[in-house]
Amino acid sequence: MHAQSYQTELYKNERGVTWQCDLTNTIVIDFEPFRIRLRLPDFNTFRRKVNGIDIRAMLFDLSDAADYQVLEAPKAQSAYRLTLCELIQLRDLLNGTRFALELSSLLHETLGEIVITD
Amino acid sequence: MKNLLRLHTSLKEEIEIALNAQVKMEAEASHKYQAMASWLEQNGYEHSANYLYRQADEERAHSLKIFRYINEMGGSAITPAVGEVTLDFTSFRSVFEAALQSEIAVTHAINRIVGKCRQVDDYATESFMMWFVNEQREEERNARRALELCDLIEETGTGKYTLDKEIAKISAEEE
Repeated sequence: MHAQSYQTELYKNERGVTWQCDLTNTIVIDFEPFRIRLRLPDFNTFRRKVNGIDIRAMLFDLSDAADYQVLEAPKAQSAYRLTLCELIQLRDLLNGTRFALELSSLLHETLGEIVITD
Repeated sequence: MKNLLRLHTSLKEEIEIALNAQVKMEAEASHKYQAMASWLEQNGYEHSANYLYRQADEERAHSLKIFRYINEMGGSAITPAVGEVTLDFTSFRSVFEAALQSEIAVTHAINRIVGKCRQVDDYATESFMMWFVNEQREEERNARRALELCDLIEETGTGKYTLDKEIAKISAEEE
């Protein structure tokens, strides 16, 4: 993929993958059924929204409406209907991505001026 | 690979979470003062009600000050949802006891943030929070002074009226 030079994979799970794009300073979330590109503040907002969903309440709610959650992607002007399993996988993807970003930041701070390559 | 996190914000996530929690706490404190002022007003303590309305405004200003700092540092400030507050009090004195308890809780929370800042070497936020450390010293002093006045002035005869007027002078005393 020609974009590899400025896109770095941050985290991957069974359902999706995230990338950091150094050209646009954004995070690309590739999660079936959507692919979105977010600035960090929007990524944080999106992650907070996903983490805020009460999975336990959904598990114990027997109504059909509790089998899925409609989620709006920031600035994408589109909404997605995600099942419980998809929500858990998306949560894992976003939290894993955040961890990778923090690890990268920590390495930059610790190693100082040394350039970090893939 | 760029340090994307640092490019957008100089706040560590745990500090941002702690600051957002403080925004909420200050907003709750503002609501508490407003409820106290309302009770005092309804019971004829006009002067001390005005004093607590001013305190409510101050707490709201504190909340906004932290809120704007979070955004200024590249973080994401969250507009807090404030829950129910106590609307009824058993006595004039109990209002000011509740006020002191609230101030002590705020002081503890601010101290914990300063401690966290030191743990993660966030000296900018520590410096910013020192204003609140000093402010809390004053807030606690004022709340204690109100209780002192309750002890000094008996609530019999015209005592209640005098107490109401004296408590309203507290913020003027510090100037």
